[in-house]
Amino acid sequence: MNRISLKKQNGDKGRAYLYILPSLLAFAIFMFWPLFRTIYLSFFDWNMIKPDKEFVGFENYIELFQNPLTYKILGNTGAYILILLVINFVVPYILSFVLSMMIKKGQNFYKGIIFLPSVISLVVGSILYMWILNPISGPLAIIAQVFGVTLPVWSKSEGLALVVLSLITSWKVFGYNFIVVLAGVTGVSQEVIEAAKIDDVPMHKVFWDIILPMSSATGLYVFIITIVQGLQYVFTPIKVVTQGGPNYASSNLIYHSYHEAFVLYRTGMSSAFSIITLILFILLLIIGFKFVEKGVYYEN
Amino acid sequence: MKTELNSMKWHILVIIIVCILIIPVVFAVSNSFKTLADAFSNMFNIIPANPTLENYIHVFEKLPFLQITLNTFFIATIVTGFKIITSLLAAYAFVYFNFRGKNLLYFVLISTMFIPFTVIMIPNYLTISCMGFRDNLWGVILPQLSDALGIFLLRQSMRTIPRSLIEAAYLENASDFKIMKDIIIPLVKPALISTGIIFFINSWNEYVWPVLVLKSKENYTLSLALQMFISAEGGTEFTIAMAVSVMTMLIPLVLYIVFQKHIINTFAMSGIKG
Repeated sequence: MNRISLKKQNGDKGRAYLYILPSLLAFAIFMFWPLFRTIYLSFFDWNMIKPDKEFVGFENYIELFQNPLTYKILGNTGAYILILLVINFVVPYILSFVLSMMIKKGQNFYKGIIFLPSVISLVVGSILYMWILNPISGPLAIIAQVFGVTLPVWSKSEGLALVVLSLITSWKVFGYNFIVVLAGVTGVSQEVIEAAKIDDVPMHKVFWDIILPMSSATGLYVFIITIVQGLQYVFTPIKVVTQGGPNYASSNLIYHSYHEAFVLYRTGMSSAFSIITLILFILLLIIGFKFVEKGVYYEN
Repeated sequence: MKTELNSMKWHILVIIIVCILIIPVVFAVSNSFKTLADAFSNMFNIIPANPTLENYIHVFEKLPFLQITLNTFFIATIVTGFKIITSLLAAYAFVYFNFRGKNLLYFVLISTMFIPFTVIMIPNYLTISCMGFRDNLWGVILPQLSDALGIFLLRQSMRTIPRSLIEAAYLENASDFKIMKDIIIPLVKPALISTGIIFFINSWNEYVWPVLVLKSKENYTLSLALQMFISAEGGTEFTIAMAVSVMTMLIPLVLYIVFQKHIINTFAMSGIKG
């Protein structure tokens, strides 16, 4: 890369900062400053309306960790992460492998349709699935009736509500993740795969020993995005369908933070919950990058 | 012969997944043209027995629907415009300049992708209220004037432009503006268009932030209007809800179908580390 002549020509580095400034300003005012303000608010007792905030130190955090509800919500968050990962990380990997190995005809057609729900609003998705899965009058209930099965009232049942909300979210997230994983999987050198085929290496070994390690950078990205974005996407169906119920059984860290702030008006508690969420996300990123550093394969 | 059978098996698996994903959309369109009675008695007929536009007419009678669509369009357009301009400028600086703190700055900007919205939600709500933009379209727009994804995608795309082209332009003392207009923008056009469409569609579908900011019906966006038709039991407004759903999906779907190849390629790129 010949940077010398370029460098000489634009000795005026001030311009670079000038071009970054608009983005930096936008982020500073609506991302970084709010981030610090939320940390600040988490040490106060406030309801967004009272003129005075009361400083309570770590009390919000102490209360948070002493409340059994917190552990229910952490458990729910874990369950959401698990379901989202299986549907939107494991399945796309297998499907990408299948599509790139076995299916030559119609690949673009499949790609096009599988991605389609990604461009549709999750409110639309929630409404559609509420109808399809309606336990009394929905099409699935009618089909089940033929076989003498009654569908459970999932939106009112602990455990099941969470599963269905994850499914609705997956309907939207799946296509995007699939397209990204597929790009990673098809990016693996065909020569290596052909060589393995000639040596009669069984398909599952090709997947584990070649595809997976050689697409690990993409894999890591999708893994992280599934958790970070997925948990936030779930907010919409939770808000639209169950509002976290029944009895907080479908709430997660993100939704509960909203609930504390805009339903219960406990600003400090909400801030404490969102800071805990952020810390969890940061831990996750660090673990992810450590894992990649440990010598898994990088494309490029 | 054996491999053909084998591949058949996989085709069927993929087709099942495709059906699960696409059937809700097909049903929504079909139900939006049915009468309520028809929707419940002939549930499995994709083609309505007595096609009707009644549901669509109802939507316009019950809601300031034109206004709501225009609101959604206005927000999405302004947000997309700002995000594209700020991302393009930042990406240009990161690709063609060397300056102190470049990597740190890039890392800081990109890391905003991983900040959960709950962390910024209360302060932004307070800021917007303080500026008097609560229940105002600008209150939705202001917190999203730049986007880390845009900086990332456009930087990726700019890096594929041969450096010699830019260097030659510098040697002729071309201004940054001219380089941007005559070299960079034409060459990154596909990425620019698809990034723009992604921003537009995401803003169009946005729900979380507008639901906090917008209060009155005249200021609603499509996603908020749709939310009003939700009732757990399917309800008497079911077919109207389907009509609103179809109208909410329409613009994103048209954009997607027209620019499908570009969008898929750009998204595929987003997962490849650079």
